[in-house]
Amino acid sequence: MSGGSLFRRGETNHPLGTKSMSSKRLLGLLLVLPALLVIVVLFIIPLILSAVGAFKVDGAFGLGNFVKTFELYTQDIVFTLLITGLSTILIGAASVAIGGYLTLGEHPRAVAILKFLYRWPMFIPFIVVGQILRTFLAKNGMMNNVAIELGLTTPLDAVSLLDWRGIVIAFVWKQTPFVALLVSGAMASLNRDTIEAARNLGASRLRVLVEIIVPQVAMTLTVGLVLSFVTMMSVLSVPLMINAQSPTMLTADIAFRVNSYGDYGVANALGIVSLVLASSVAWIYLRASMKERA
Amino acid sequence: MKRLSYAAFAVAFAALPLHAEELTVATAGDQNMVDYINQYLGPLFEKTYPGDTVRAVGTGPGDSGSQKILERFDAQSAANTKIWDVDVAVVHEKFVGPMVTKHYLDKYRSDIDTGKLVTRGNAKMALGTDVDGYVMPMFNSQTAIAYNPDLIKNPPKSYTELADWVKAHPKQFGYNGIKGGASGVSFVMGWIYAFGGGDANVLMNGPFKEDETKKWDAAFKGLNEFNKNATLTPGNAGTLDMLARGEIAMGPVWVDMFYSWQASGQLPPTMKLVLPAPGMPGQPMHYVIPEKTAHKALAEKFIALATSPKVQAEGIVKRFNWYPGIDADKVKAELDQATWDKLFVDITPKDLADKGKPFPIAPYNNAILEAYEKQVK
Repeated sequence: MSGGSLFRRGETNHPLGTKSMSSKRLLGLLLVLPALLVIVVLFIIPLILSAVGAFKVDGAFGLGNFVKTFELYTQDIVFTLLITGLSTILIGAASVAIGGYLTLGEHPRAVAILKFLYRWPMFIPFIVVGQILRTFLAKNGMMNNVAIELGLTTPLDAVSLLDWRGIVIAFVWKQTPFVALLVSGAMASLNRDTIEAARNLGASRLRVLVEIIVPQVAMTLTVGLVLSFVTMMSVLSVPLMINAQSPTMLTADIAFRVNSYGDYGVANALGIVSLVLASSVAWIYLRASMKERA
Repeated sequence: MKRLSYAAFAVAFAALPLHAEELTVATAGDQNMVDYINQYLGPLFEKTYPGDTVRAVGTGPGDSGSQKILERFDAQSAANTKIWDVDVAVVHEKFVGPMVTKHYLDKYRSDIDTGKLVTRGNAKMALGTDVDGYVMPMFNSQTAIAYNPDLIKNPPKSYTELADWVKAHPKQFGYNGIKGGASGVSFVMGWIYAFGGGDANVLMNGPFKEDETKKWDAAFKGLNEFNKNATLTPGNAGTLDMLARGEIAMGPVWVDMFYSWQASGQLPPTMKLVLPAPGMPGQPMHYVIPEKTAHKALAEKFIALATSPKVQAEGIVKRFNWYPGIDADKVKAELDQATWDKLFVDITPKDLADKGKPFPIAPYNNAILEAYEKQVK
């Protein structure tokens, strides 16, 4: 909508004739060209090559790579979807909670502290998160040791969280700040009248959050979660550091196919599968945004 | 005459800067491999041959590091590049075969003196491919089972005993599967050597026969059961970590990593090693020279220095606890008894000769890994 109106304004207000218009367009095209070339050469072409490679078996075209992919890795595909899906839901809940408190919190000091703290994980690379959690979540790791010291558990009951739970914890810890940043920004720019009105009419803060605020920032929340989902689908370091067993995430399988077998065919097929998973989520987002614009 | 000697001087001067060459050494493996070349071998070489410099490039840990070097060669070969940008490469055993078959390498071993000091069979055959003359082993590495003698008085001496032990002591044995590093892969290969139902020697030496791969079902079924009572660890270092924290009592490790961790205090000094029968695989890392290097003579000098008994003793055995790449007796002469004993205290040279196995040849290796992926869930 904003793009469309800008364009119209440019057309109607422009005093120049059509000839200079077209040369101007050419100039614009030229200016875009370097960026376009970079995208085509470094992104589009490799993507197409890898997509084509997924259908190549011993020099001929066929579905062999996909047969093998589903034969060996169906469990991992489901695992990846569940892990990323669960993480996305938890990230959504946590970032709404953080954004909600930043918007509705009544203790200025607590709000300031939370505002300062919540962003930190965003600046820590995934590999470091993996490394930290590897010692933190281990059976005799820091978390269990603290729990044992506090009398919350006993050494015999302590369990290692270095399996699928470790991956979920890593993802949620790392991605929540990013979504919370977007969501709290959107919440802060809301018209406060509706919030105040609801509060005046006696709505609890939780009710205001769920029924007034979240619906208004739903689009931003979706964008943040879609971006997080796609990011998490592509993380290799965390599953490698925490749980490269079976089942594991698709990224670990792709790396294993290439590094252990030098087999790019199945690796490409796995890549296509994860591309389909990621783009199905992007499609939901696109559809939602189209609906909003219509 | 005078003019002639001037001319000679001029030629000599013109030639001088040419002598200051830069040797590019690409190495697969962990950071310690890059450090070894940058901090030890490079400076030593530069001191021995003043004017020349060494540049080390690390291509990453594990097989993927070697895979990257192979792909680099593939690319330069496909592009018909006249002079390649790597002069010396250090790669895993598995990748030497393809490099030789594709005619990327120079057959240099007979050109250098230390070539005669190589005695082990793995310098002739690399997982089923004849590589004789193309490689010099940098070191030999071995996997074994590390255990905590405070908890285990009589460690299992064979895979069969180990399987029983694990049944009796659930979750006390940990290994890293096949996707988290080669110590787990090695354990699985040893499992197939022990229970595979075929002839392990065929797996190690070839030839590859499809029928052979059908014999492993029972072994993998057993491994599936075994895994239920085992702990799965995150990576080679993950197994050592868990041993150090007391979360597991036993697990397969690389011998050199084990000793290095003990030396740096990351692992209690009481921990011990055992090599269960029928044996576990180990592998060498090899020095190779691409045929299209611009610095062939210098590359040969570099490898000759790196494989000299003195450097093998000081650098390979003493610093890194690796088994030497050349004949161990020649290296022993350069070492004090204490250092020598330390390397062979838990695993004797006889153990090593009897139970230190090569990995299976590449097609069996891949078939075993894929069968594991299919059958062990």
